[in-house]
Amino acid sequence: MGPHHPSMHGVLRLVVVPQGENVIDCKPILGYLHRGMEKIAENRTIVQYLPYVTRWDYLATMFTEAVTVNAPEKLANIQIPERASYIRIIMLELSRVASHLLWLGPFLADIGAQTPFFYIFREREMIYDLFEVATGMRMMHNYFRIGGVAADLPYGWVDKCLDFCQYCLPKIYEYERLITRNPIFLKRVKGVGFISRQEAINWGLSGPCLRASGVQWDLRKIDHYECYDKIDWQIKWQTEGDSLARYLVRIDEMKESINIIQQALKLLPGGPYENLEGRRIAQEKGRMNWNSFNYQFVGKKSSPTVKLPRQEHYVRVEAPKGELGVFLIGDDSVFPWRFKIRPPGFANLQILPQLLKGMKLADIMTILGSIDIIMGEVDR
Amino acid sequence: MTYNRLESFSIVLLVPKWIHRVQSKKQESTFYVTPDHPYEILLFFRCHINTRFDVSIDICGVNCPSQEQRLRVLYQLPTTQYNSCIRIKIGVNEITIVSSVISISPSAGRWEREVWDTSGVHFSNYLGLCRILTDYGFEGHPLRKDFPLSGYVEVRYNDLEKCVVYELIEMAQEFCYFDLASPWQA
Repeated sequence: MGPHHPSMHGVLRLVVVPQGENVIDCKPILGYLHRGMEKIAENRTIVQYLPYVTRWDYLATMFTEAVTVNAPEKLANIQIPERASYIRIIMLELSRVASHLLWLGPFLADIGAQTPFFYIFREREMIYDLFEVATGMRMMHNYFRIGGVAADLPYGWVDKCLDFCQYCLPKIYEYERLITRNPIFLKRVKGVGFISRQEAINWGLSGPCLRASGVQWDLRKIDHYECYDKIDWQIKWQTEGDSLARYLVRIDEMKESINIIQQALKLLPGGPYENLEGRRIAQEKGRMNWNSFNYQFVGKKSSPTVKLPRQEHYVRVEAPKGELGVFLIGDDSVFPWRFKIRPPGFANLQILPQLLKGMKLADIMTILGSIDIIMGEVDR
Repeated sequence: MTYNRLESFSIVLLVPKWIHRVQSKKQESTFYVTPDHPYEILLFFRCHINTRFDVSIDICGVNCPSQEQRLRVLYQLPTTQYNSCIRIKIGVNEITIVSSVISISPSAGRWEREVWDTSGVHFSNYLGLCRILTDYGFEGHPLRKDFPLSGYVEVRYNDLEKCVVYELIEMAQEFCYFDLASPWQA
Protein backbone atom coordinates (compact mmCIF):
# COMPACT_ATOMS: atom_id res chain seq x y z
CA MET A 1 0.00 0.00 0.00
CA GLY A 2 2.00 2.81 -1.42
CA PRO A 3 3.10 6.11 -0.10
CA HIS A 4 0.35 8.11 -1.74
CA HIS A 5 -2.68 7.47 0.36
CA PRO A 6 -6.18 8.74 -0.21
CA SER A 7 -6.72 9.36 3.48
CA MET A 8 -5.10 11.99 5.59
CA HIS A 9 -2.37 10.02 7.27
CA GLY A 10 0.29 11.26 4.93
CA VAL A 11 2.96 9.38 3.07
CA LEU A 12 3.24 5.99 4.70
CA ARG A 13 4.25 2.91 2.78
CA LEU A 14 2.93 -0.36 4.12
CA VAL A 15 4.31 -3.56 2.63
CA VAL A 16 1.61 -6.07 3.44
CA VAL A 17 1.93 -9.80 2.97
CA PRO A 18 -1.58 -11.16 2.53
CA GLN A 19 -2.86 -14.66 2.18
CA GLY A 20 -6.26 -14.39 0.63
CA GLU A 21 -8.02 -11.85 2.78
CA ASN A 22 -5.86 -12.33 5.86
CA VAL A 23 -2.79 -10.32 6.62
CA ILE A 24 0.23 -12.38 7.57
CA ASP A 25 2.80 -9.68 8.00
CA CYS A 26 3.15 -6.00 7.49
CA LYS A 27 6.14 -3.74 7.35
CA PRO A 28 5.73 0.00 7.52
CA ILE A 29 8.38 1.99 5.67
CA LEU A 30 8.79 5.56 6.83
CA GLY A 31 10.98 8.40 5.76
CA TYR A 32 9.05 9.82 2.86
CA LEU A 33 8.44 13.09 4.66
CA HIS A 34 11.79 13.40 6.40
CA ARG A 35 12.86 17.01 6.19
CA GLY A 36 15.77 17.09 8.60
CA MET A 37 14.00 19.14 11.26
CA GLU A 38 16.45 18.19 13.96
CA LYS A 39 19.45 19.21 11.90
CA ILE A 40 17.85 22.51 10.96
CA ALA A 41 17.16 23.22 14.63
CA GLU A 42 20.87 23.19 15.31
CA ASN A 43 21.27 26.20 13.04
CA ARG A 44 18.38 28.39 14.06
CA THR A 45 17.50 30.30 17.19
CA ILE A 46 14.33 29.26 18.91
CA VAL A 47 12.30 32.15 17.53
CA GLN A 48 13.58 31.48 14.04
CA TYR A 49 12.70 27.84 14.46
CA LEU A 50 9.11 28.36 15.59
CA PRO A 51 7.62 28.45 12.09
CA TYR A 52 9.23 25.08 11.42
CA VAL A 53 7.72 23.34 14.40
CA THR A 54 4.15 23.76 13.28
CA ARG A 55 5.03 21.63 10.30
CA TRP A 56 5.68 18.54 12.44
CA ASP A 57 2.11 17.88 13.42
CA TYR A 58 0.24 20.15 11.10
CA LEU A 59 -3.18 19.45 12.55
CA ALA A 60 -2.49 20.24 16.19
CA THR A 61 -0.05 23.04 15.72
CA MET A 62 -0.21 24.75 19.09
CA PHE A 63 1.23 21.71 20.87
CA THR A 64 4.39 21.67 18.82
CA GLU A 65 4.92 25.35 19.51
CA ALA A 66 4.15 24.87 23.20
CA VAL A 67 6.75 22.18 23.67
CA THR A 68 9.40 24.07 21.65
CA VAL A 69 8.91 27.12 23.80
CA ASN A 70 8.64 25.21 27.08
CA ALA A 71 12.07 23.67 26.59
CA PRO A 72 14.13 26.91 26.77
CA GLU A 73 11.82 28.27 29.45
CA LYS A 74 12.57 25.34 31.70
CA LEU A 75 16.27 25.45 30.86
CA ALA A 76 16.70 29.13 31.63
CA ASN A 77 14.03 29.21 34.36
CA ILE A 78 11.88 31.86 32.77
CA GLN A 79 8.51 32.35 34.41
CA ILE A 80 5.47 33.17 32.37
CA PRO A 81 2.66 35.48 33.47
CA GLU A 82 -0.64 33.90 34.44
CA ARG A 83 -2.59 35.47 31.65
CA ALA A 84 -0.21 33.99 29.14
CA SER A 85 -0.59 30.60 30.79
CA TYR A 86 -4.38 30.73 30.51
CA ILE A 87 -4.23 31.91 26.91
CA ARG A 88 -1.93 29.00 26.16
CA ILE A 89 -4.35 26.55 27.76
CA ILE A 90 -7.24 27.90 25.71
CA MET A 91 -5.27 27.70 22.48
CA LEU A 92 -4.00 24.21 23.28
CA GLU A 93 -7.43 22.87 24.03
CA LEU A 94 -8.91 24.45 20.90
CA SER A 95 -6.11 22.81 18.97
CA ARG A 96 -6.92 19.48 20.61
CA VAL A 97 -10.56 19.72 19.57
CA ALA A 98 -9.48 20.61 16.05
CA SER A 99 -7.08 17.68 15.86
CA HIS A 100 -9.58 15.15 17.14
CA LEU A 101 -12.19 16.45 14.72
CA LEU A 102 -9.83 16.00 11.82
CA TRP A 103 -8.99 12.53 13.07
CA LEU A 104 -12.67 11.63 13.19
CA GLY A 105 -13.39 12.56 9.59
CA PRO A 106 -10.75 10.45 7.82
CA PHE A 107 -11.15 7.57 10.28
CA LEU A 108 -14.80 7.23 9.36
CA ALA A 109 -14.07 7.90 5.71
CA ASP A 110 -11.65 4.96 5.75
CA ILE A 111 -14.30 2.77 7.32
CA GLY A 112 -16.76 3.86 4.67
CA ALA A 113 -18.90 6.61 6.16
CA GLN A 114 -18.46 9.74 4.07
CA THR A 115 -20.82 12.09 5.92
CA PRO A 116 -18.85 13.01 9.05
CA PHE A 117 -15.91 14.02 6.85
CA PHE A 118 -17.90 17.04 5.69
CA TYR A 119 -19.43 17.83 9.04
CA ILE A 120 -16.16 18.12 10.93
CA PHE A 121 -14.97 20.89 8.70
CA ARG A 122 -17.80 23.08 9.97
CA GLU A 123 -16.38 23.25 13.49
CA ARG A 124 -12.82 23.20 12.28
CA GLU A 125 -13.44 26.28 10.13
CA MET A 126 -14.81 28.06 13.19
CA ILE A 127 -11.70 27.18 15.14
CA TYR A 128 -9.60 28.38 12.21
CA ASP A 129 -11.45 31.71 12.31
CA LEU A 130 -10.79 32.08 16.02
CA PHE A 131 -7.12 31.32 15.47
CA GLU A 132 -6.87 33.71 12.57
CA VAL A 133 -8.23 36.61 14.55
CA ALA A 134 -5.93 35.96 17.49
CA THR A 135 -2.73 34.86 15.80
CA GLY A 136 -2.94 35.99 12.21
CA MET A 137 -2.79 32.58 10.56
CA ARG A 138 -5.36 29.84 10.16
CA MET A 139 -3.11 26.85 10.58
CA MET A 140 0.59 27.56 10.97
CA HIS A 141 0.40 30.18 13.69
CA ASN A 142 3.70 31.43 14.93
CA TYR A 143 2.09 32.38 18.20
CA PHE A 144 4.00 31.09 21.21
CA ARG A 145 7.11 32.87 22.42
CA ILE A 146 9.63 32.21 25.14
CA GLY A 147 7.99 33.93 28.08
CA GLY A 148 4.40 33.93 26.91
CA VAL A 149 2.51 34.46 23.69
CA ALA A 150 3.20 36.83 20.83
CA ALA A 151 0.19 39.11 21.10
CA ASP A 152 -2.78 39.54 23.35
CA LEU A 153 -6.27 38.35 22.47
CA PRO A 154 -8.24 40.95 20.54
CA TYR A 155 -11.29 42.65 21.98
CA GLY A 156 -14.35 40.40 21.80
CA TRP A 157 -12.41 37.17 21.30
CA VAL A 158 -13.46 35.77 24.66
CA ASP A 159 -17.16 36.21 23.84
CA LYS A 160 -16.76 34.64 20.42
CA CYS A 161 -14.94 31.72 21.93
CA LEU A 162 -17.68 31.18 24.50
CA ASP A 163 -20.23 31.26 21.69
CA PHE A 164 -18.20 28.66 19.84
CA CYS A 165 -18.12 26.38 22.88
CA GLN A 166 -21.86 26.64 23.30
CA TYR A 167 -22.31 25.82 19.62
CA CYS A 168 -19.81 22.99 19.51
CA LEU A 169 -20.90 20.89 22.46
CA PRO A 170 -24.31 19.92 21.03
CA LYS A 171 -22.58 19.15 17.72
CA ILE A 172 -20.30 16.65 19.42
CA TYR A 173 -23.37 14.98 20.88
CA GLU A 174 -24.77 14.97 17.35
CA TYR A 175 -21.69 13.08 16.13
CA GLU A 176 -22.18 10.59 18.90
CA ARG A 177 -25.81 10.06 18.02
CA LEU A 178 -24.87 9.61 14.39
CA ILE A 179 -21.95 7.25 14.86
CA THR A 180 -21.59 5.48 18.16
CA ARG A 181 -24.57 3.15 18.08
CA ASN A 182 -24.52 2.65 14.35
CA PRO A 183 -24.50 -1.14 13.84
CA ILE A 184 -22.28 -1.02 10.74
CA PHE A 185 -19.73 1.10 12.57
CA LEU A 186 -19.79 -1.17 15.59
CA LYS A 187 -19.28 -4.25 13.49
CA ARG A 188 -16.27 -2.71 11.77
CA VAL A 189 -14.68 -1.36 14.90
CA LYS A 190 -15.59 -3.38 17.96
CA GLY A 191 -12.97 -5.92 18.95
CA VAL A 192 -10.59 -4.85 16.22
CA GLY A 193 -7.01 -4.08 17.12
CA PHE A 194 -6.97 -5.06 20.75
CA ILE A 195 -4.04 -3.82 22.84
CA SER A 196 -3.74 -5.08 26.37
CA ARG A 197 -2.64 -2.89 29.22
CA GLN A 198 0.80 -4.40 29.65
CA GLU A 199 1.48 -4.38 25.93
CA ALA A 200 0.54 -0.74 25.70
CA ILE A 201 3.05 0.15 28.40
CA ASN A 202 5.76 -2.07 26.90
CA TRP A 203 5.47 -0.60 23.46
CA GLY A 204 5.73 2.94 24.76
CA LEU A 205 2.32 4.08 23.62
CA SER A 206 0.92 7.29 24.95
CA GLY A 207 -2.13 9.44 24.62
CA PRO A 208 -5.55 8.05 23.71
CA CYS A 209 -4.10 4.66 22.69
CA LEU A 210 -2.78 4.18 26.21
CA ARG A 211 -5.85 5.55 27.90
CA ALA A 212 -8.12 3.27 25.93
CA SER A 213 -6.26 0.25 27.31
CA GLY A 214 -6.97 1.09 30.91
CA VAL A 215 -3.97 3.18 31.96
CA GLN A 216 -4.95 6.55 33.38
CA TRP A 217 -1.91 8.37 32.10
CA ASP A 218 -2.45 11.99 31.18
CA LEU A 219 0.55 14.30 31.25
CA ARG A 220 -1.58 17.29 32.05
CA LYS A 221 -2.38 15.76 35.41
CA ILE A 222 1.01 14.17 35.97
CA ASP A 223 3.39 16.96 35.11
CA HIS A 224 1.18 19.78 36.44
CA TYR A 225 2.24 22.11 33.70
CA GLU A 226 0.70 25.47 32.87
CA CYS A 227 -2.45 26.16 34.91
CA TYR A 228 -4.28 22.90 34.43
CA ASP A 229 -4.45 22.37 38.18
CA LYS A 230 -6.68 25.36 38.68
CA ILE A 231 -9.31 23.98 36.32
CA ASP A 232 -11.66 21.19 37.25
CA TRP A 233 -11.50 18.38 34.73
CA GLN A 234 -11.17 14.58 34.58
CA ILE A 235 -9.06 12.13 32.63
CA LYS A 236 -11.14 10.18 30.14
CA TRP A 237 -10.28 6.54 29.74
CA GLN A 238 -11.71 3.16 28.78
CA THR A 239 -10.70 -0.39 29.56
CA GLU A 240 -11.43 -2.40 26.43
CA GLY A 241 -8.39 -1.49 24.38
CA ASP A 242 -9.91 -1.98 20.94
CA SER A 243 -10.56 0.59 18.23
CA LEU A 244 -13.99 1.41 19.64
CA ALA A 245 -12.43 2.29 22.98
CA ARG A 246 -9.91 4.61 21.27
CA TYR A 247 -12.76 6.30 19.42
CA LEU A 248 -14.73 6.77 22.65
CA VAL A 249 -11.72 8.21 24.45
CA ARG A 250 -11.21 10.82 21.75
CA ILE A 251 -14.87 11.84 21.68
CA ASP A 252 -14.86 12.19 25.46
CA GLU A 253 -11.67 14.19 25.30
CA MET A 254 -13.30 16.61 22.92
CA LYS A 255 -16.13 17.20 25.36
CA GLU A 256 -13.69 17.60 28.21
CA SER A 257 -11.64 20.10 26.18
CA ILE A 258 -14.70 22.26 25.60
CA ASN A 259 -15.31 22.13 29.34
CA ILE A 260 -11.72 23.21 30.03
CA ILE A 261 -11.96 26.07 27.53
CA GLN A 262 -15.14 27.38 29.10
CA GLN A 263 -13.63 27.33 32.57
CA ALA A 264 -10.37 28.90 31.45
CA LEU A 265 -12.20 31.71 29.65
CA LYS A 266 -14.04 32.56 32.84
CA LEU A 267 -10.85 32.42 34.90
CA LEU A 268 -8.75 34.50 32.47
CA PRO A 269 -6.90 37.13 34.51
CA GLY A 270 -5.61 40.48 33.39
CA GLY A 271 -1.97 41.25 33.19
CA PRO A 272 0.85 40.98 30.68
CA TYR A 273 0.84 38.38 27.97
CA GLU A 274 4.56 37.97 27.68
CA ASN A 275 7.42 38.10 30.08
CA LEU A 276 9.50 40.74 28.40
CA GLU A 277 11.94 40.90 31.25
CA GLY A 278 12.68 37.24 31.00
CA ARG A 279 15.32 37.62 28.34
CA ARG A 280 17.20 40.38 30.09
CA ILE A 281 17.00 38.94 33.58
CA ALA A 282 18.25 35.60 32.46
CA GLN A 283 21.36 37.28 31.15
CA GLU A 284 21.87 39.87 33.85
CA LYS A 285 21.65 37.43 36.73
CA GLY A 286 19.99 39.65 39.24
CA ARG A 287 17.33 42.17 39.77
CA MET A 288 17.17 45.16 37.51
CA ASN A 289 17.29 48.53 39.15
CA TRP A 290 14.61 50.99 38.37
CA ASN A 291 16.00 54.22 36.94
CA SER A 292 19.15 52.51 35.80
CA PHE A 293 20.32 53.19 32.27
CA ASN A 294 19.82 49.58 31.21
CA TYR A 295 16.25 49.30 32.43
CA GLN A 296 14.87 51.39 29.60
CA PHE A 297 15.76 48.60 27.21
CA VAL A 298 13.85 45.94 29.11
CA GLY A 299 10.43 46.77 27.82
CA LYS A 300 11.60 46.95 24.22
CA LYS A 301 11.48 43.91 22.07
CA SER A 302 15.06 43.67 21.05
CA SER A 303 16.19 40.87 18.77
CA PRO A 304 14.94 37.93 20.76
CA THR A 305 18.06 35.90 21.16
CA VAL A 306 17.97 33.93 24.34
CA LYS A 307 21.22 32.24 25.11
CA LEU A 308 20.51 28.64 26.01
CA PRO A 309 22.56 27.61 29.03
CA ARG A 310 24.79 24.57 28.88
CA GLN A 311 22.24 22.12 30.25
CA GLU A 312 19.94 19.50 28.93
CA HIS A 313 16.32 18.96 29.62
CA TYR A 314 13.45 16.85 28.41
CA VAL A 315 10.04 18.51 28.34
CA ARG A 316 6.83 16.89 27.26
CA VAL A 317 3.30 17.89 26.44
CA GLU A 318 0.12 15.89 26.15
CA ALA A 319 -0.52 16.29 22.45
CA PRO A 320 -3.73 14.85 20.98
CA LYS A 321 -1.72 11.99 19.48
CA GLY A 322 0.24 11.16 22.60
CA GLU A 323 3.31 12.34 24.42
CA LEU A 324 5.16 14.92 22.38
CA GLY A 325 8.56 15.55 23.87
CA VAL A 326 11.60 17.64 23.10
CA PHE A 327 15.03 16.87 24.44
CA LEU A 328 17.09 20.03 24.30
CA ILE A 329 20.82 20.25 24.94
CA GLY A 330 21.93 23.85 25.15
CA ASP A 331 25.41 25.03 24.52
CA ASP A 332 25.62 28.56 25.94
CA SER A 333 24.90 30.03 22.54
CA VAL A 334 21.78 31.04 20.70
CA PHE A 335 21.65 27.81 18.72
CA PRO A 336 20.81 24.54 20.48
CA TRP A 337 23.42 21.80 20.37
CA ARG A 338 20.93 18.97 20.01
CA PHE A 339 17.21 19.26 19.55
CA LYS A 340 15.65 15.83 19.68
CA ILE A 341 11.99 15.58 18.92
CA ARG A 342 10.09 12.67 20.41
CA PRO A 343 7.01 12.37 18.25
CA PRO A 344 4.06 10.35 19.52
CA GLY A 345 3.28 8.95 16.11
CA PHE A 346 6.70 7.36 15.74
CA ALA A 347 6.24 5.30 18.88
CA ASN A 348 2.57 4.55 18.35
CA LEU A 349 3.21 3.28 14.84
CA GLN A 350 5.52 0.55 16.07
CA ILE A 351 2.68 -1.57 17.30
CA LEU A 352 1.04 -1.72 13.88
CA PRO A 353 2.67 -4.92 12.54
CA GLN A 354 1.77 -6.82 15.66
CA LEU A 355 -1.83 -5.65 15.62
CA LEU A 356 -2.30 -6.58 12.00
CA LYS A 357 -1.27 -10.21 12.24
CA GLY A 358 -4.30 -12.34 11.55
CA MET A 359 -6.61 -9.49 10.65
CA LYS A 360 -8.47 -9.05 7.40
CA LEU A 361 -7.29 -6.64 4.74
CA ALA A 362 -10.18 -4.31 5.46
CA ASP A 363 -9.11 -3.98 9.08
CA ILE A 364 -5.79 -2.39 8.15
CA MET A 365 -7.39 0.99 7.64
CA THR A 366 -9.48 0.73 10.77
CA ILE A 367 -6.47 -0.01 12.95
CA LEU A 368 -4.22 2.50 11.22
CA GLY A 369 -6.88 5.15 11.60
CA SER A 370 -7.57 4.43 15.20
CA ILE A 371 -3.92 4.76 16.16
CA ASP A 372 -4.04 8.30 14.71
CA ILE A 373 -0.69 9.10 13.19
CA ILE A 374 0.45 12.09 11.20
CA MET A 375 3.45 11.45 9.02
CA GLY A 376 4.70 15.00 9.39
CA GLU A 377 5.70 14.33 12.95
CA VAL A 378 6.66 10.69 12.44
CA ASP A 379 9.24 11.57 9.83
CA ARG A 380 10.04 15.12 10.87
CA MET B 1 8.29 10.26 44.43
CA THR B 2 10.91 12.19 42.53
CA TYR B 3 14.47 11.08 42.46
CA ASN B 4 16.85 13.12 44.55
CA ARG B 5 20.53 12.65 45.27
CA LEU B 6 20.08 10.26 48.15
CA GLU B 7 18.07 7.81 46.15
CA SER B 8 20.38 8.10 43.18
CA PHE B 9 23.32 7.20 45.39
CA SER B 10 21.47 4.22 46.78
CA ILE B 11 21.01 2.92 43.25
CA VAL B 12 24.67 3.46 42.54
CA LEU B 13 25.58 1.40 45.56
CA LEU B 14 23.56 -1.49 44.20
CA VAL B 15 25.29 -1.56 40.84
CA PRO B 16 28.60 0.19 41.32
CA LYS B 17 30.36 -1.59 38.52
CA TRP B 18 28.24 -0.17 35.76
CA ILE B 19 27.70 3.45 36.65
CA HIS B 20 30.42 6.07 36.22
CA ARG B 21 28.72 9.13 37.49
CA VAL B 22 25.37 10.43 38.59
CA GLN B 23 24.08 13.90 37.99
CA SER B 24 20.88 15.20 39.49
CA LYS B 25 19.44 18.46 38.29
CA LYS B 26 15.95 19.93 38.26
CA GLN B 27 14.46 16.74 39.64
CA GLU B 28 15.90 14.64 36.85
CA SER B 29 18.74 12.23 37.42
CA THR B 30 21.22 11.29 34.76
CA PHE B 31 23.31 8.14 35.09
CA TYR B 32 26.49 7.84 33.08
CA VAL B 33 26.97 4.17 32.28
CA THR B 34 29.83 2.14 30.84
CA PRO B 35 29.17 1.33 27.20
CA ASP B 36 29.34 -2.42 27.56
CA HIS B 37 26.31 -2.83 29.75
CA PRO B 38 23.23 -0.97 28.59
CA TYR B 39 21.21 -4.18 28.37
CA GLU B 40 21.95 -5.22 31.93
CA ILE B 41 21.34 -1.86 33.42
CA LEU B 42 18.06 -1.36 31.62
CA LEU B 43 16.93 -4.78 32.76
CA PHE B 44 17.86 -3.86 36.30
CA PHE B 45 16.01 -0.58 36.11
CA ARG B 46 12.97 -2.28 34.70
CA CYS B 47 12.63 -5.05 37.20
CA HIS B 48 13.85 -3.66 40.50
CA ILE B 49 10.97 -2.86 42.78
CA ASN B 50 12.11 0.63 43.69
CA THR B 51 12.85 1.72 40.20
CA ARG B 52 10.17 0.38 37.90
CA PHE B 53 11.30 2.23 34.80
CA ASP B 54 9.46 0.09 32.37
CA VAL B 55 9.15 2.16 29.24
CA SER B 56 11.88 3.41 27.03
CA ILE B 57 10.27 6.55 25.85
CA ASP B 58 13.12 7.94 23.80
CA ILE B 59 16.60 7.00 22.68
CA CYS B 60 18.66 9.84 21.39
CA GLY B 61 22.04 10.04 19.76
CA VAL B 62 24.24 13.09 20.35
CA ASN B 63 27.43 13.94 18.56
CA CYS B 64 30.04 15.89 20.55
CA PRO B 65 33.13 16.02 18.38
CA SER B 66 35.26 17.86 20.91
CA GLN B 67 35.17 15.11 23.50
CA GLU B 68 36.95 11.82 23.47
CA GLN B 69 33.83 9.74 23.31
CA ARG B 70 32.39 11.40 20.31
CA LEU B 71 28.94 9.94 20.28
CA ARG B 72 26.55 9.50 23.10
CA VAL B 73 23.42 7.47 23.32
CA LEU B 74 20.82 8.65 25.78
CA TYR B 75 17.94 6.56 27.03
CA GLN B 76 14.98 8.32 28.61
CA LEU B 77 13.05 6.14 30.97
CA PRO B 78 9.94 7.24 32.77
CA THR B 79 8.07 5.08 35.20
CA THR B 80 4.37 4.57 35.17
CA GLN B 81 4.24 3.54 38.78
CA TYR B 82 6.13 6.32 40.46
CA ASN B 83 6.05 9.69 38.80
CA SER B 84 9.63 10.25 37.76
CA CYS B 85 11.96 10.02 34.87
CA ILE B 86 15.66 9.18 34.59
CA ARG B 87 18.18 9.39 31.83
CA ILE B 88 20.98 6.97 31.07
CA LYS B 89 23.94 8.14 29.06
CA ILE B 90 26.49 6.02 27.27
CA GLY B 91 29.55 7.44 25.59
CA VAL B 92 30.85 5.59 22.56
CA ASN B 93 32.92 6.35 19.51
CA GLU B 94 32.09 5.61 15.89
CA ILE B 95 33.15 1.98 15.88
CA THR B 96 31.83 0.75 19.21
CA ILE B 97 28.89 -1.60 19.03
CA VAL B 98 26.23 -1.20 21.70
CA SER B 99 23.98 -4.07 22.67
CA SER B 100 20.39 -3.52 21.76
CA VAL B 101 17.66 -3.34 24.38
CA ILE B 102 14.86 -4.38 22.08
CA SER B 103 14.19 -7.61 23.96
CA ILE B 104 13.54 -5.69 27.15
CA SER B 105 11.30 -3.03 25.76
CA PRO B 106 10.06 -3.52 22.20
CA SER B 107 9.43 0.17 21.81
CA ALA B 108 13.17 0.70 21.55
CA GLY B 109 13.24 -0.83 18.08
CA ARG B 110 12.44 2.22 16.03
CA TRP B 111 14.48 4.54 18.22
CA GLU B 112 17.61 2.41 17.78
CA ARG B 113 17.13 2.34 14.05
CA GLU B 114 16.86 6.09 14.09
CA VAL B 115 20.04 6.47 16.15
CA TRP B 116 21.84 4.18 13.69
CA ASP B 117 20.51 6.16 10.77
CA THR B 118 21.24 9.63 12.01
CA SER B 119 24.31 9.25 14.20
CA GLY B 120 25.89 5.98 13.19
CA VAL B 121 25.90 4.03 16.44
CA HIS B 122 25.60 0.35 15.62
CA PHE B 123 23.46 -1.92 17.79
CA SER B 124 24.07 -5.65 18.09
CA ASN B 125 21.40 -8.36 18.47
CA TYR B 126 19.03 -6.44 16.30
CA LEU B 127 17.75 -8.14 13.17
CA GLY B 128 16.62 -5.53 10.76
CA LEU B 129 18.77 -2.62 11.80
CA CYS B 130 18.41 -0.50 8.69
CA ARG B 131 17.82 3.05 7.69
CA ILE B 132 14.50 4.43 8.69
CA LEU B 133 14.27 8.13 7.97
CA THR B 134 16.69 8.78 5.15
CA ASP B 135 16.53 7.76 1.54
CA TYR B 136 17.01 4.22 0.23
CA GLY B 137 20.64 4.39 -0.79
CA PHE B 138 21.77 7.15 1.50
CA GLU B 139 25.37 7.28 2.62
CA GLY B 140 26.50 9.10 5.66
CA HIS B 141 24.94 9.89 8.98
CA PRO B 142 23.10 13.21 8.91
CA LEU B 143 23.11 14.28 12.52
CA ARG B 144 26.85 14.13 12.90
CA LYS B 145 28.35 17.55 13.17
CA ASP B 146 30.57 17.07 10.15
CA PHE B 147 27.65 16.44 7.84
CA PRO B 148 26.58 19.75 6.31
CA LEU B 149 23.06 21.02 6.66
CA SER B 150 22.36 20.88 2.97
CA GLY B 151 23.84 17.45 2.39
CA TYR B 152 25.93 16.26 -0.53
CA VAL B 153 23.50 15.12 -3.21
CA GLU B 154 20.39 16.60 -4.58
CA VAL B 155 17.59 14.89 -6.40
CA ARG B 156 15.76 16.01 -9.48
CA TYR B 157 13.60 14.56 -12.17
CA ASN B 158 15.39 14.13 -15.45
CA ASP B 159 12.98 14.40 -18.36
CA LEU B 160 15.28 12.72 -20.86
CA GLU B 161 15.76 9.59 -18.84
CA LYS B 162 12.23 9.78 -17.38
CA CYS B 163 13.40 9.04 -13.88
CA VAL B 164 14.71 10.66 -10.77
CA VAL B 165 18.48 11.20 -10.75
CA TYR B 166 20.91 12.00 -7.97
CA GLU B 167 23.43 14.73 -8.58
CA LEU B 168 25.93 16.63 -6.54
CA ILE B 169 24.38 19.60 -4.87
CA GLU B 170 24.47 22.98 -6.49
CA MET B 171 23.67 25.87 -4.21
CA ALA B 172 22.23 28.94 -5.85
CA GLN B 173 22.61 30.99 -2.69
CA GLU B 174 25.35 31.09 -0.13
CA PHE B 175 24.68 29.28 3.13
CA CYS B 176 23.27 31.95 5.45
CA TYR B 177 24.76 31.84 8.87
CA PHE B 178 22.85 33.92 11.36
CA ASP B 179 25.16 35.96 13.50
CA LEU B 180 22.84 37.95 15.66
CA ALA B 181 24.56 40.47 17.84
CA SER B 182 22.08 42.63 19.63
CA PRO B 183 22.94 46.31 20.16
CA TRP B 184 21.34 46.19 23.59
CA GLN B 185 23.72 43.69 25.02
CA ALA B 186 26.71 44.59 27.03
